[in-house]
Amino acid sequence: MLIRTPRPWELPASAATAERDYLHRRTFLKTVGLGLAGAAFAGPKLFGATAGFPTRVNADYRDPALKPTAYEYITSYNNFYEFGTDKGDPKPNANKGWKTEPWTVELAGLCRNPVKIDVNDLVTKMGGAEQRVYRFRCVEAWSMVIPWDGFPLAKLVAFADPSPEAKFLKFTTVVDRKNIPGQREDTLEWPYVEGLRMDEATNELAFIATGIYGKPIPNQNGAPLRLVTPWKYGFKGGKSLVKIEFVARQPRNTWNVMAPDEYGFYANVNPTVDHPRWSQASERVIGAGGLGRQRTLMFNGYEKQVAALYKGMNLEKFY
Amino acid sequence: MTTLARLIRSKPFVWTLIVLPGLWPLWPIFVQHDPSVLADPLKYVLHHLGFTACLLLVTVLTFTPLRVLAPKSPLVQALNRHRRLVGVSAFFYGALHFTTHLVYEGGTIGLDLFNTIPATLRTDVKKPFLLTGLLALSILLVLAVTSLHALVRWLGGRRWKNLHRLAYVAAGLIAYHQAAARKVFPPQVLWIFVPLAVLELARIVKQRRSPPAKIAA
Repeated sequence: MLIRTPRPWELPASAATAERDYLHRRTFLKTVGLGLAGAAFAGPKLFGATAGFPTRVNADYRDPALKPTAYEYITSYNNFYEFGTDKGDPKPNANKGWKTEPWTVELAGLCRNPVKIDVNDLVTKMGGAEQRVYRFRCVEAWSMVIPWDGFPLAKLVAFADPSPEAKFLKFTTVVDRKNIPGQREDTLEWPYVEGLRMDEATNELAFIATGIYGKPIPNQNGAPLRLVTPWKYGFKGGKSLVKIEFVARQPRNTWNVMAPDEYGFYANVNPTVDHPRWSQASERVIGAGGLGRQRTLMFNGYEKQVAALYKGMNLEKFY
Repeated sequence: MTTLARLIRSKPFVWTLIVLPGLWPLWPIFVQHDPSVLADPLKYVLHHLGFTACLLLVTVLTFTPLRVLAPKSPLVQALNRHRRLVGVSAFFYGALHFTTHLVYEGGTIGLDLFNTIPATLRTDVKKPFLLTGLLALSILLVLAVTSLHALVRWLGGRRWKNLHRLAYVAAGLIAYHQAAARKVFPPQVLWIFVPLAVLELARIVKQRRSPPAKIAA
């Protein structure tokens, strides 16, 4: 019997690139690899915030068991009703002349350091960007795994220095009826508004994304600044933020205004609390082909980091 | 008779029109490789089958009003030759849509399909959005089965006619089901059902004015 000793340079089979990614490597290179070089001279068509790249991977938020969704799907399957209500609408419509660079974001409200600041200056002030691989769970019961680039929201909160009266953060998305066609109709009440409780905002997971897969975040994903709260349903992550405001009262987030019996303020991923029209016990895995479905995890698998925020709260009442 | 009327008289032609929508999803999936479809191809197929079933149901429901409003038109007469074919195909697409739904909700990665069917059905009856679909499909099943000649004879003309009035109930359920399927109200529900409603209204008005002759079973 031959007992084989692996050589020091040999990698385990699990480190091999997934066959699908290997077969699509040329597409991957076109979009990701060239992107870094392209960022220098590409027009505002695809790139928002460009500061902070290339990003370093934050190993604390990079579970090797999580298989990231292909870049192609992350950037082609989007809910961004400002650009149409079909999943395939935002990609073409958000890149027909809508500029996301230059971009100014306003930090306002009950804080000691309110400021209107260019997005790239902001990223620099935050110490650059890091990459985190997060699960993403849409309220419609589908999910992805997304390598976001950006910085922790906690850093931005510290920078703005909120007053003690500030209990919530309010996130406002851009309104631009001229360049954002969907906003000429009343599909939703514009601007899109979202909010977080202060302790949610300063939780270690809350993240402001400026990129995906090491490349500036595309317009259809909410360029140049997008809120990411992986333990909540995806609609909580406001896109293309123009204003981040410290307020005393809980903001009325847009989906709660549109359909209060279906979408609450907290929107924590919870397989035991159904949506009125469908179950939340499982989710479709985007990019997994025909039959990919998996069980939904409590708080989208981030129970360890966020469960304490909701101790004693009735999660059926505060959905 | 116009060419169109002549074409519509042809069963093979109508069969082709009915089968083609079933093949439609092949294009974005296998030819265009549209990533917004490939992200979740089964969802795309699910929605498309439901949409086709709905269109076929609404189409067959236009046949009688058209016959009342334009009885002499060769095109209308041609359409009315295919009442059973179009009606049963609506059921068939609905059944495909429902089967896709069971597979879509069940899946196979980590979840065993046959163990999930009871769970899926339990959710279906709990939620009005899903229950309306289930009820409409059940109605269409009954109507499809009773469209067989032997069963038409067994039921008799009057009973059969009353039973098949359930098609209108199915249409109402489907309008709700389709309206409840998206996060915001989909305008296509209006495009599909308002013309039918207008036709039905016109038919009712005409029939009130001049009651139809008694038709023997």
